[in-house]
Amino acid sequence: MLLDFALPAHDRKLIPEGRLSGPMPWVIAIMLFLTLLVAAIGLSLVDAVQKGGADLAQRATLQIIEPDPVARATQKVEISRMLRNVAGISKVEPVPEGEVRNLLKPWLGNDVIDSDIPVPALIDIRFKNAPDQATLTSLKKRLKTIAPKIRLDSHSSWMAPFFQLMSSLIYLAVAIFILLLIATSAVVILAVRSTLNTHRTTIEIMHMMGGTDLQAARLFQRRVALDALLGGSAGFGAAAAVILALGGRIAAVEPGLLAGATLPVYGWVALATIPLAVTGLAMLMARWTVVSALKKML
Amino acid sequence: MQSVVEFDNVGLRYGTGAETLTDLSFTLYPGSFYFLTGASGAGKTSLLKLLYLAHRPSRGSIRMFGHDAITLPRDRLPGFRRRIGVVFQDFRLVQHLSTFDNIALPLRIAGIQEKDLINPVTEMLDWIGLTERADARPATLSGGEQQRVAIARAVIGRPEMLVADEPTGNVDPEMARRLLQLFEALNRLGTTVIVATHDIHLLQEIDGAQMMRLDKGRLSDPTGSLRHPPRPLVLRN
Repeated sequence: MLLDFALPAHDRKLIPEGRLSGPMPWVIAIMLFLTLLVAAIGLSLVDAVQKGGADLAQRATLQIIEPDPVARATQKVEISRMLRNVAGISKVEPVPEGEVRNLLKPWLGNDVIDSDIPVPALIDIRFKNAPDQATLTSLKKRLKTIAPKIRLDSHSSWMAPFFQLMSSLIYLAVAIFILLLIATSAVVILAVRSTLNTHRTTIEIMHMMGGTDLQAARLFQRRVALDALLGGSAGFGAAAAVILALGGRIAAVEPGLLAGATLPVYGWVALATIPLAVTGLAMLMARWTVVSALKKML
Repeated sequence: MQSVVEFDNVGLRYGTGAETLTDLSFTLYPGSFYFLTGASGAGKTSLLKLLYLAHRPSRGSIRMFGHDAITLPRDRLPGFRRRIGVVFQDFRLVQHLSTFDNIALPLRIAGIQEKDLINPVTEMLDWIGLTERADARPATLSGGEQQRVAIARAVIGRPEMLVADEPTGNVDPEMARRLLQLFEALNRLGTTVIVATHDIHLLQEIDGAQMMRLDKGRLSDPTGSLRHPPRPLVLRN
């Protein structure tokens, strides 16, 4: 089909190719701009979920909720020592009490947090592999022999609703992406039908002289391909500018949940292939539309 | 001898109307020259449309170049159409193409290389006296010039059969004579020529031409103007 794009110059003259004079390249540019933005959002979310999900699934936080500060400090040391000897745990990081108090300040206020109010001792745990529920239960049981008042939270459990929301947004992005592709195809079909009607006489003349349906279809394919390429390039340029600008804004946000939501390199490669894929799709739709329409002629 | 065209009891109606052509049965032979005459509305253009495969008949059978033209699969039609040259009554030139490109169109459709079509098209332009207008668009040509371009386009591919609908209607007598000479030359090379015309003077121009007369969609017997037929026009009931 790509060979059909390279028509001899004289054949190209049969259906005039009015570059950028018609609405088709502009409509395709707008459709592709929206398609690429949706694709970029979807790809960024996928990357964020993959990176963040894998990271969070390996993490857990242990809280020692012992009101006696001396006992709490002793338990923290003992538990940290014990955890470092547990197979399957790659890192044990006791959080300094000052840092815990700083974390709580925005919620409890300076006055309260600076008083003698007890705050739980925190230990961050990183597993070599994401632990299952049975592993966590077994570990918790062992830890309770040292500190009876503990709470072990897997990060993946409290982040689950967030990742479920992310997954829903990814599905939504895929659905919008498909709808936009369908709309782009519909635009191509309408444009080809309109062009076919405009040049019906030329096509009839070609037919009467022994021109085949595919010869006529190639002319439309080339015209549509050029429109799609022009529109696709414009749409890609605009979308890339928006994605880069948004990426800059996201990077300026404090590291956190949004930190992973940037478009990865493979995402850019995927985005770059979309205008080409849309051009191929447009050519295919043009061929199908023209051949279907011409079959109604003798 | 194998016929070029055989009509057997052919009828044509458009939609649910009355038959435009009724019970046509005749045979056309290779290398023959036929004039098709008849009053306006007699069905000349409809018969020509059947001959250049623009329509299928409502009934009857048509054989063309030894094949059943009615059951011919659609994908084989282009191959048959390339063997037929057509001069349309309304010229049907491609308005955005130059005179040169319009004449070259059948050769390009047939896949002739660009280097191989320049000479024949240039010669044809010279023959019809439009060398100076090679780059002109049809809209800038007079009616007569457009008609010459249409004829040149129809004959450039040396078709086995040439079908012309009033080909000299818009040209002066001298040009009409020259164009008929072109048809005659083509006919001498073996092309079967069918010319629909109102102009009874044309019938005198071609030795050996035969006449088919349509009257209200029916083919009547040849008139006395049929002279020296190279082969008999076979009219069956």
